[in-house]
Amino acid sequence: MTLARNVYKALEDIVGPENISDDPAVLDSYRYSLAHTAIHIGPYYDTFTPRGEAVLLPGSTEEVQAIVKLCNKYKIKFKASSTFWSAQGYPSGENTIQLDMRRMDRILEIDEKNMFAVIEPGVIGATLQAEAMKLGLNTHLPGSGCSCSILAGATSYFGSGPSNLYGGWHYDNLLALEWVMPTGEILRTGSLGAGCGWFCGEGPGPSMKGVARGFLGAKGAMGVFTKCAIKLFAWPGPQTLPVEGTIPAYRVSLPDNFKAYTVAFPSWRAWADAAHMIWDAGIGYLAHRQFNMFGRDLKFAMIKILTDPTKTLGDLEELLEDPEVQKVTQESMRDFQIVLAGMTRRDMAWQEKVLDEILRRTGGWKVEAMNEPEIHDWALLYLIRLGHKNLNLVYAGGYDGCFGFLGAPDYGTTYVEEAAEFKREWEKRGAIVEAGGDCMMGPIGGQGGGGTCLWENFTCFDPHDKDSVEGTLEFFDACTELGLKRGWGVGMEKWNAAARGPDGRTPPKEERDRIHLAAPQPSVFRYQHRVKEALNPNDLGDAYYETLED
Amino acid sequence: MALEDFAAEMDRCSQCSYCKWIPFDQVKSWRFAKNCPSIAYHNFNSYSARGRYAVARSLIKGQSGYSDTVRKIVFTCMTCGSCDVSCKVCRYNLEPLEMARELKFRLVEDGQGLDEHQAIIESLNKEHNTLGRPRAERGAWADDLDVPRLYADKAEVLFHAGCRFSYDRELQGVARTAVRLLKQAGVDVGIMGQREMCCGGRVYSMGYRETFTRFAQANLKAWDRAGVKTVVTSCADGYHAFKRLYPKLGSQVEVLHTVEFIARLIKEGQLTFRTAVPLTVTYHDPCHLGRQGEPYVPWEGVEKKIKNQIVVYEPRRPRYNGAWGVYDPPRDILRSIPGVELVEMERIREYSWCCGAGGGVREAYPEFSRWTAGERIEEARATGAEALVSACPWCERNFKDAVKALGDSLQVYDIVELVQKAM
Repeated sequence: MTLARNVYKALEDIVGPENISDDPAVLDSYRYSLAHTAIHIGPYYDTFTPRGEAVLLPGSTEEVQAIVKLCNKYKIKFKASSTFWSAQGYPSGENTIQLDMRRMDRILEIDEKNMFAVIEPGVIGATLQAEAMKLGLNTHLPGSGCSCSILAGATSYFGSGPSNLYGGWHYDNLLALEWVMPTGEILRTGSLGAGCGWFCGEGPGPSMKGVARGFLGAKGAMGVFTKCAIKLFAWPGPQTLPVEGTIPAYRVSLPDNFKAYTVAFPSWRAWADAAHMIWDAGIGYLAHRQFNMFGRDLKFAMIKILTDPTKTLGDLEELLEDPEVQKVTQESMRDFQIVLAGMTRRDMAWQEKVLDEILRRTGGWKVEAMNEPEIHDWALLYLIRLGHKNLNLVYAGGYDGCFGFLGAPDYGTTYVEEAAEFKREWEKRGAIVEAGGDCMMGPIGGQGGGGTCLWENFTCFDPHDKDSVEGTLEFFDACTELGLKRGWGVGMEKWNAAARGPDGRTPPKEERDRIHLAAPQPSVFRYQHRVKEALNPNDLGDAYYETLED
Repeated sequence: MALEDFAAEMDRCSQCSYCKWIPFDQVKSWRFAKNCPSIAYHNFNSYSARGRYAVARSLIKGQSGYSDTVRKIVFTCMTCGSCDVSCKVCRYNLEPLEMARELKFRLVEDGQGLDEHQAIIESLNKEHNTLGRPRAERGAWADDLDVPRLYADKAEVLFHAGCRFSYDRELQGVARTAVRLLKQAGVDVGIMGQREMCCGGRVYSMGYRETFTRFAQANLKAWDRAGVKTVVTSCADGYHAFKRLYPKLGSQVEVLHTVEFIARLIKEGQLTFRTAVPLTVTYHDPCHLGRQGEPYVPWEGVEKKIKNQIVVYEPRRPRYNGAWGVYDPPRDILRSIPGVELVEMERIREYSWCCGAGGGVREAYPEFSRWTAGERIEEARATGAEALVSACPWCERNFKDAVKALGDSLQVYDIVELVQKAM
C-alpha cells in the first residue's frame, strides 16, 4: 500500500520535503532483519520487518504532534524510533509510517545542581555522558550500549545495564516527560505538568510514568516521547576521558580512585554470596558479568585479540592453544567485572578493603591477568563508556540471548551450569558458535543498589547462513521447552513472541491471547488494553504495547 | 569484485549505527561526535554505511530500482572511510568502505552515474586531468624549476604534483617547495611535467573503476620507462591511489607523501628551521593520508568458519581500520617549527572528520561539500587555532573556499607552506 498523495503532501507540509521519503530504497533501509540482534523472537532467515509507507524526520514536538494528528485523521499507524536498536523500533504491519527521531537530538539542559539532564529522543548515551562528565556527572548507560537513545531506554524499554548498581535503571531515572499521546494531545508529566520544571516525574503535576511506559516500556507503540529529564549521578573522574591506544585497543588511564577488577570464585554459591555482600556493603560503581558474552571458553582469548591492534579473529585458534590463555580462561570461569570509583581517597581505600574482605570470605580472587595495565585500562574504558557493545556481534553478525535468569543471584547461579550444559550440547550440532555453553552475561544489580541479576545466555550465529539461522531457532525452541519444563518460564528468546511473528508482522490475535493468558499475570495486559482503549482509540500503535481484551 | 560479492556482509551488518559516530571511546562532546558527513547532513538512515548495505541489498534483490534518490544516496558518500573505522571497532568481517565503492561502481556500470562526474571523465579522457584544464598547461607550475622531465630523462625519484597542484595557482607553491626540498636533500628527483597524468584516484572514488585502471596502467608504464623507484607526492588522494590502489595492478614503487619525507629530513638533522612562525595551528588529517593511508598488504584468500560460525579468512586477511595511517609525521613537523603551537581538534587521526571534497561530492553536491568543510572549520575554531593546516590540496581548496563563503578569518595552509616560512 502506498500513501495517498494528498496524505503524503500533508505530511510533507509538516516536515518539509527534505525530511520525508517514500523511495523504496530509503524505506528498505528502515527495515530490520529478523535474523539479527536481540529481537527476542526467531531468528528467521531472510525475513525483515515490513516496509513502512514513508519515513519522516520530525524536527520538533510541534511537528510530531501535527504528524500524529494527521495519522489519527487518516487512520494511519505510526512508529517512532530514535536509534533503531532491535526490531521493536520498526513497523509490524501495513499502513504504517515511520518517524526517525534523529533530528531531535539536543541536550536541552544539564542541571548540575539538581543532577539531571533534559534531552530529546536522538541523544545517545555517549554524547550525554561526555557532556555530563564535564560537570562531574555521569549517566547510566543501558546494556545496549552508548550508541542508543537514553530517552528510549527510559520510556520505552528496560534501561537496564552495567551501572544499575550505582546509577539505577533508566526506568528509575526517568523524571518529567513530554509525551505526544497517541491522539496527538501533549501531556507533560510530573513537575513539568505543574509548570515547576523538569526535576520530578511524580509530581506535583500528573504522575503518569506507569501509564506512559506501560509494562517494561511503551516500545514505540503508544505515541511519541519527545523530551524527558533523566537523573544523572556523580562522576569522580576527569572532565574528558583521556583515551590512549591504537584502535580498536583504546584504553583509559584514570586516577587511583578508579579500578576495574575481574573477580572470580571457586563455586557459584560463592559467586552469589559475593553479589549479596557487594550490595550489603554498598560498594561499586558498576558491576557486570560482561566479557563472558564471548563464551566461557573464548573470553580471555577474545580479550587478547581486542587489546592487541595487530590481532584479528584469525588469531583466535592459536590463542586458544596458548597455555597462559588456557590458565586464565580456567581461573575466570565463574567471574564478573566490577568497577570501583572512590568519591574520595578514603572512600576508595574503604571500597578496596571491603572488596578484598568479600573475596576473603567467599574464597574468591582477582584475575591477575585482567590487571595487566593495558588490559585493565581497556576494560575500564569499555565498562565506563560501553562503546564496544556490538562486540555482541563480532563473530558473524548475529546474536540473541536465551534463558534470561531474572532474580536473586542464587536463582541464576543455581541453574547456570544446567543451562550451560544444555547449550554446550547444542553447540556441538554446529549451528551456533561453540563458546563453552556458559555465555551468561548481565548486570550484578538488576535494580539500583542491587537485589537481582539478569542473565542472558548469548547465542551467536551467522545471519547469512540459512542452516545457522534455522539451527539457532531450533535451539531457542528447545530452550523455551526446557525453561517451561524446569519452571524457569519462557526465556528471552521468546520475549517478543506476542508482538511479532515469523513473517515479521503482528501475530494473529488468537496467538497473542494464548501467550498473554499463559503469562503469570494476564491482568497486566488486560489493564493495558483499557489504557489503550482510552488513550489510543484509533489503535495506531502495534502489539509491542501488549494487551488482552476482557 | 561485484556488488553481489558483498551479499554476506549485507546480511551480517549489525545494523548498529556505529558507522554514524566516531568511535564512542573517543567522544568528547555532543557537538563533534558524528563522523559521517553524509548521514549527518541528510539524516535518513540510507545515507549511512548501514543504510547503504540495506539499499544495496534492496537493489540486488530487485526490491527497489534506480531513482534520483538512490543516485543521491550512493554518490553523496565521500568514501572518506570514517564509517569503516567506526564499524571495525567491533567487527572483523565487514568492509563498509569497499562496499560503498562497489555500489558506486555498479551504478556507473549501469549508466546511473552523475552528469557532473561525466564531465570530469570527459576532461580526463581528453586533457588527462580532472579539472577541465588544457593538457599543455599541466607542467607550467614547474617552469621555473631546474628539474629533469622524466619523459625525456631518467631519475629514481618522481615528484607527482597531481591535478590540483598542477592547475591551482593559489596552491601550487606547495609543489614547488616540495621539489626544492627534495633537491636540497640531494635526491635524484624528476617530474613528468606537462606529460603528467591524473593518478585516477578521484574518479575511482566516484565509481569509475575502468577509467582509473586505464590511467593507473598508463602511469605505471611511464614510471617504468623513466626508471622510477620512488614516487613522492604532496597530494593525499594521489598518495592513496599510488600506495593502496596501484599495488593491486602490480606496482612495486615505493610511495612517500611529502610529510613523510620532510619528517625524515628533520629526524636525520638534514632540515632545521631558522625562522619562527608564531602561529597557533590545528592539523586536519586528510582521509587518504590518515585512515586510508595504511600500507597495502597483498592478500588472496577465502572465508572460512571456525568454532562452527565464527567468520575468519584463510590465510589471515590484512585489516585496514585506520590503525596504521600517516598521523605522526605531519605532527612531528609542526612541533619542530619554532613558534608553531599545535592544538588538536576533537576528531583527529583515524576518526578525523572529512574536508568535504572527496568522492566527487565537491563537484556534484557543492552545497553539501561546503557544509562539510564548514563543520570542520567550526571544529578548528573551537580549539582557538588561528590556522587550519592540512597536507592535501583538495582539503586545502575546499577549506579555503568554505572560509571565504563563510566570511571567516581562519587561515588555511598546506603544511609545506609553514615549512617554507620557517626555512
